[in-house]
Amino acid sequence: MRALVIDDSRAMRRIVGSILEDFGYEVRPAGDGREALDVLEEGYLPDLACVDWNMPVMDGLQFVSAVRSNPAYRSVALMMVTTESETSQIVRALAAGAHEYMIKPFTADAMRDKLALLGLLPQEVSL
Amino acid sequence: MSDLLSSPAQQPITEMLDAATVQSIADDVWTSLVGDGEVLVPLPVPAPEVTVSAWVQITGRWCGAVVVTCDEATAVALTECLLRARPPAVIEQEDVDDALGELANVLGGNVKSLLPELSSLGLPQTGPIPPASRPEDLCRVDAQWRGQSLTITVQGATPAPHTERNEVPQ
Repeated sequence: MRALVIDDSRAMRRIVGSILEDFGYEVRPAGDGREALDVLEEGYLPDLACVDWNMPVMDGLQFVSAVRSNPAYRSVALMMVTTESETSQIVRALAAGAHEYMIKPFTADAMRDKLALLGLLPQEVSL
Repeated sequence: MSDLLSSPAQQPITEMLDAATVQSIADDVWTSLVGDGEVLVPLPVPAPEVTVSAWVQITGRWCGAVVVTCDEATAVALTECLLRARPPAVIEQEDVDDALGELANVLGGNVKSLLPELSSLGLPQTGPIPPASRPEDLCRVDAQWRGQSLTITVQGATPAPHTERNEVPQ
């Protein structure tokens, strides 16, 4: 499985990426929404995109909207991974097209549970 | 900068949260991001002479910043912990700024969620500590991590009339 990890923090890209790699994912990082869209336009189609909200250039909500408006990217599962934890913000993200929502800070177990909900937990990873 | 300034009469942060709440948020952040078994002990030790700070601005009905301050060596150690799974061969200043900024970002996001009205969070910044406003509009946790001083402050922005002298550094 392939994942695109989109966060302006290099540390957070490494943290999220390493958790996903432990679950067997091939991970590609991107520093903002625009860079992530460029990756998709290159033809790299991941199973999952983990998307931070607050980023320069193009924020996570704009990225989610852009992906959802393009039928070519319909198969990409979108998970917001963000510090935005107010209910109204979660509703905004889900309304824009995010499939799941995870609030920072989080644990590897929480990520595993979210992947299982999305049906994106490789079979060899036990719950 | 005008959107980062507090009104002269904004409700003090201490009426919305206390140090114990900030400590509780920090406990979660430390366990999840810094590492299992890593504890931010709420016992102050003498502050270092030279410090580094990272912060995020909160803008809304309450305007201010959430600031993390420690010495350089502690910032590097925190960076190594955050990057524990795949550390680069050499930790560069950019890595330290990024890691300390992300800690401030996660702390700030959780503080923001406790404010009574929806607010917005700025991107992390690092540099000299931004000026605080009134002492009553400041919530401070003085703690230690691995025996070294680490301070988290939630501080109101400087009121508008004083901004020419007290702009938040970029």
